[in-house]
Amino acid sequence: MYVELKNINKSFGDFKASDNISFGIEKGKLIGLLGPSGSGKTTILRMIAGLETPDSGEIIIDGKVINNIPASKREIGFVFQNYALFRYMTVYENIAFGLRVRKNDKKSIDKRVKELINLVGLEGMEKRYPSQLSGGQKQRVAFARALAPNPQLLLLDEPFAAIDAKVRQELRSWLKEMILKLGVTSIFVTHDQDEAIEVADELIITNNGKIEQTGTPLEIYQNPETAFTASFFGQTSIIGDYTRFKTFSKVENASSAIVRPEFIKITKKGEVQKFRSSAVSGIVERTLFRGSNIELTVRVGDVLLTARRALDEPIISVGETVDVFIYRLFVTVGNKARIIENESLRENSIVI
Amino acid sequence: MKNEGSKIVKWLLIGISLLFAFLFLLLPLFTVISEALRNGWAAYKEAVTDEYTISAIWLTVEATVIAVLINTIFGLFAAWSVTKFYFRGKKLMTTMIDIPVTVSPIIAGLIFLLTFGRQSPIYPYLQAANIQIVFAVPGIVLATVFVTFPFISRELIPVLESQGTDEEEAAALMGASGLTIFRRVTFPHIKWAFLYGIVLCAARAMGEFGAVSVLSGHLRGKTNTLPLHVEILFNEFRYVPAFAVSSILVMMAVVILIIRSVVEYRGKGAE
Repeated sequence: MYVELKNINKSFGDFKASDNISFGIEKGKLIGLLGPSGSGKTTILRMIAGLETPDSGEIIIDGKVINNIPASKREIGFVFQNYALFRYMTVYENIAFGLRVRKNDKKSIDKRVKELINLVGLEGMEKRYPSQLSGGQKQRVAFARALAPNPQLLLLDEPFAAIDAKVRQELRSWLKEMILKLGVTSIFVTHDQDEAIEVADELIITNNGKIEQTGTPLEIYQNPETAFTASFFGQTSIIGDYTRFKTFSKVENASSAIVRPEFIKITKKGEVQKFRSSAVSGIVERTLFRGSNIELTVRVGDVLLTARRALDEPIISVGETVDVFIYRLFVTVGNKARIIENESLRENSIVI
Repeated sequence: MKNEGSKIVKWLLIGISLLFAFLFLLLPLFTVISEALRNGWAAYKEAVTDEYTISAIWLTVEATVIAVLINTIFGLFAAWSVTKFYFRGKKLMTTMIDIPVTVSPIIAGLIFLLTFGRQSPIYPYLQAANIQIVFAVPGIVLATVFVTFPFISRELIPVLESQGTDEEEAAALMGASGLTIFRRVTFPHIKWAFLYGIVLCAARAMGEFGAVSVLSGHLRGKTNTLPLHVEILFNEFRYVPAFAVSSILVMMAVVILIIRSVVEYRGKGAE
């Protein structure tokens, strides 16, 4: 493990930001710290950087306990949420700052800054001030500035939060590519699931100051271990008593079930539906055009489900009675989640 | 129609403001100058170059310079600690900084008189150490420092607050020392507010009358500042010298005003 946190605790007054946090990160990986706001992810990042001190526990980087090493000596690159560019310095001076502080010689500083400006594609903007840059450009400067002193570890706090949607998409792939190319171990914090899934090699899911689950995005998405992780991705619906939906086996002590939109098939009464016999009736309460699909809110008894339909399927209108079939769902027992499939799917495969 | 109405309102408001400015600001200023020059240039020159006037000017300058120096240091420290750190009693401290502008200067003077005067329990010790505060220059400086206490920190706190701590943290992470961070990151940001605070502080220090009046003892040539000197001359019915000395204060104020406008203008340009 290159970066390791062992039993880290941190409180701000009564608020427990980190509750016995432990995890390890391998060298060269791009790690996403994902959780809702207030889940303690930024605190973890700031403790690794040395901007906060843990109340107890150890932070180890490259085999050394760094708890007592001041932030300035940790050789960590940090990209702030609002970039925190030095507003009275030009792009060039911003990137050169960390090198000048180190008292490197002028020539090598100039070489390195030019190299980085080329790397982030900001040629010709050296003399501009941060206020003269767009959000995406600021982000690139912040990235170059953090990388200038050649840090072994790069930390990014909500790196895309302050950028508009279109540019964000572009920057995500750009950043991932950059980090891959440079091979620098990186940790970024985000509350955006799509962003985390797309960018990270591995995810650490935080909630209420604790770590819920760690693993690759695919693993976590497909096999959520806890109730929180199961409900965190996508527009999940919570079902109290899932046995009202047909052909699901019973799980002992189940508290509730979680369904993702892609687990649900909505069909019109007259439409072909292979599992008609296992479907239940529901009433459409709301339809919402989402661009690439139509989002439906369907009521089955006292349960509201969010599902999607493709644009080329027959249109369903509000108030219509439809068939609702659920392929699979996450059943939660206490804080644990397990996936169960609809039994009719299995029968079907046996028949074929 | 609506446009007409708003035009009338516009000129009415401008007219009233101009009238007020003329009546309460320009007219008195004009009176001061004309009264000062009533007996001719020679009388004016005599009043201004009077031995006691000169010493009053120097004392005023001395008190102002010391007050500005002390409050610059204090103001920076106070504004910095209030905006960049979290600590117990922070609210109390920000409130206390404002005491000098809310308390009447006369009361401030009395407080120092009671703290360092004959009735004070520490008076014997001061006496033994041969330190005289009341009715001496240190008392005047003390009173001036007190009344101008909040000016610089009050200018800096909002600017520092709006800046946050991100830039400083970023610089610290890159290995910059505290001094470098202040010099390269924080100071460029607060520069204009800082200068503006100094200008305000100096203006207030020069004109201070109440607290200084209580502590000075009005010893001519020793503990008389310009405003006190004006009062003495006026009480002696020596109107021309009184106005002549006043005109010096007015000129100092005008210089400060010009500096202030320049600072403000350049500060805006730098934004």
